[in-house]
Amino acid sequence: MKVPKVQCVCGFGCGSSLMLRMAIDDILRKLDIEADTFCGDVGTCLSNPCDVIFISKELSELIMDRAQVPVIIIENFMDSAEVEEKVKAYMDSLEA
Amino acid sequence: MEELVSIDKIRVQLEADDWKDAIRKAGDLLIASGDIEASYIENMIASVEQLGPYMVIAKGFALAHAAPCEAVKNNAVSLINLKEGVDFGSSNDPVKVVMALACTDKESHIASLSKIAMRLMKEGMIAKLADCESAEELYGLINRD
Repeated sequence: MKVPKVQCVCGFGCGSSLMLRMAIDDILRKLDIEADTFCGDVGTCLSNPCDVIFISKELSELIMDRAQVPVIIIENFMDSAEVEEKVKAYMDSLEA
Repeated sequence: MEELVSIDKIRVQLEADDWKDAIRKAGDLLIASGDIEASYIENMIASVEQLGPYMVIAKGFALAHAAPCEAVKNNAVSLINLKEGVDFGSSNDPVKVVMALACTDKESHIASLSKIAMRLMKEGMIAKLADCESAEELYGLINRD
């Protein structure tokens, strides 16, 4: 299976998206899943090639209707149970 | 112990009128330390007004920041807790812990912010930060591995 490219998005691609990326990396390590995670900003994220976008609820509304890849909303970046559940669901969908 | 947030950029049990005031209180510490100019605080507030309260990234916790710009002199973070939580209009309200982040570019702060993220992800960490009664206590929590 090819390694999925996971884009974590916030307003500027350098603050909360980094927090989200760390949280997702942490879960990927725990689940022993390989993925290429990187940060993007909400203004340009749709032109960055990726397989999936993880984003906060508020920002998702700005891109949802134009996105060509799955957009997954994380409400609480520091809730490892929520991040794990959503990362796992996406990875499982790739295998299906 | 690696210091990620210095004691002069930490305050506890502050009173804030609303979310803007909370961001200003956190930002003021970075003005005092010479890391930002006042206009960066207005940028942080404008970011929330334009993009919504997405900076409230966890229950009770806001990571206030704006795009890198000339008003930022050095990469820096400040951390405050509030006596009473304020509402940002987020599902993670009320916010009692605010971190203000200033970066000079999109890359150079990544290593230190990553370490901060790892500490914030510890179970119950944000609730503990919210309850700190002294700056020393909060300093110990965020800087201890």
